[in-house]
Amino acid sequence: MAIDNDSDFKAALNNLSRAGQRLVAARFAENVQVLSNDVRVKNAINAAKRADITEDELAAASQAAKKASVDSFTQCGKECDWNSQAGHFVAQAAVASLKPAEPGDSPAWNAAMHARMARTSENIAAGRGTDNAENAAQYRILAEFLNV
Amino acid sequence: MNVNLAKGINAFKEVIDAPIASFFSSCVHCGLCAESCLFYTETGDPKYTPIHKLEPLRRVWKQEYTLLGKLEKMLGLSKPVTDAELEEWKPLVYNSCTLCSRCAMVCPVGNDMTYMIRKMREGMAASGHAPTDLIGASTRSVEIGSPMGIRLPALKAQMKHVQGDTGIEIPLDVVGAEYLVLMSSMEIINFPEYLAAVAKIMKQAGKTWTLCSDAFEATNSGIQIGVSDIAKILVQRIVDGAEKLKVKTVISPECGHAYTALRWEGPNLVGRPYTFEVLHILEVLDGFRTAGLLKTTGFEDALLTFHDPCQLVRRGGVLEQPRNLLKMVAKNFVDTTDHGQMNWCCGGGGGVSAIEEAEPLRLQAFKVKKSQLEETGAKTLVTACANCRIVLEEGLEHYHMNIPVVGLTEMIADHLTEGE
Repeated sequence: MAIDNDSDFKAALNNLSRAGQRLVAARFAENVQVLSNDVRVKNAINAAKRADITEDELAAASQAAKKASVDSFTQCGKECDWNSQAGHFVAQAAVASLKPAEPGDSPAWNAAMHARMARTSENIAAGRGTDNAENAAQYRILAEFLNV
Repeated sequence: MNVNLAKGINAFKEVIDAPIASFFSSCVHCGLCAESCLFYTETGDPKYTPIHKLEPLRRVWKQEYTLLGKLEKMLGLSKPVTDAELEEWKPLVYNSCTLCSRCAMVCPVGNDMTYMIRKMREGMAASGHAPTDLIGASTRSVEIGSPMGIRLPALKAQMKHVQGDTGIEIPLDVVGAEYLVLMSSMEIINFPEYLAAVAKIMKQAGKTWTLCSDAFEATNSGIQIGVSDIAKILVQRIVDGAEKLKVKTVISPECGHAYTALRWEGPNLVGRPYTFEVLHILEVLDGFRTAGLLKTTGFEDALLTFHDPCQLVRRGGVLEQPRNLLKMVAKNFVDTTDHGQMNWCCGGGGGVSAIEEAEPLRLQAFKVKKSQLEETGAKTLVTACANCRIVLEEGLEHYHMNIPVVGLTEMIADHLTEGE
């Protein structure tokens, strides 16, 4: 089934197992990873992509990604650097992909939203307006994931 | 006396009104305010005693407005306030006071130290002793419309993102909408989920609402730095936007000082009553709850606690609303020992979180919040102020405490009944 809208996209994500959500969420984060220069985020995304990762490794990667996310918040009253903010949302996407399973939670959807905000932040920084192609990229990533 | 110092001293003289004069003359030097201030309790340094932070202002009051002080000044028995002294006091007045008002709650003679610090900041700013970071934020607020430099295209980008996330159109500049929703720059930048939550809740409640392209920012840097003229400009911008769109109610976002600035101080700043009502988002949500317009399903599993933002609970009177709302989504809730009106500040209010050099002290002061949270054993921390949220996240991270921090509006939206 071709996925070309958010409704189908969300439904397909929610049908995935927790591990499946993590693996595809990591791919969403990876697609915007270039917007972050934080090695902790890169390592966390790589960890989330591993099918054989242990719970302890997941917890360690999650902690590192969380630290990177908190470190990159724009403080109240500080002038926003949208490029740095893009990096923050990449870290948030990594955190979402590594989040422990909870009923009713949609970590993959959350990771997708953070990745889109990362791209939006990049566009704001570049003065390119509000359009970005991240939605389409995510539909493609999910379709490829489902077809593997 | 240099020109800037003269401006500062004049500003001190101008801000000394009847309440300040009575507060200074009433102080019995009991020191109770020290024990209520997180910067004192967590450092043990007496210089952080709230009333001591006001010493230069007290001296000007005594020298200019009391008989004994005038005599002492005439005879050269009291020293004048100097530029060096104000520079020395700068970190006490800005870095180590969050305007949280906890000291005012315990003062046996009812002195409102926050009111006094706010007034003292007027003189500090006039004399050139305001922190550079707050000067930058205030300048951006006036020139750009946001202390963090957010312009309309950035807001529109977030609106578009939220529309994609929720499938709900985000209204902009709708004349005649019932509610004008304000945002803080923090929410635009860091927490797009807040706008998404508001959109979902308004849809369920069947209410009309709008953002305003000329007045989307709620925060008021003028209040934080202590420049009433700037505070007035920023409030007037919102008043103009609300009146242009003919809304009935303006909703202050999950931001502490924005609410007190707009609701409680705004009419005095602009010099006339509003033609609309101002409510905090939690007041609006609790009103929806009472009217049966807020329908939720399910409960949070984790043990929750709530951090009362100082400006809401102590200076705003928003105490029961968050707890009423939490009851809708949490059966497993615990309050901290000192909660509600005696809650401890996160440590970053009043502009402190924007002052970079204040960070080490802020993190040291966070130990009181750490103890509060450890006592509860809570697994999730809920709050209703974007600034508190980030300061709490930083503090928790600094002390290696793995407790997620969630905005209450967002938590309520996550539990809305599907299809409503």
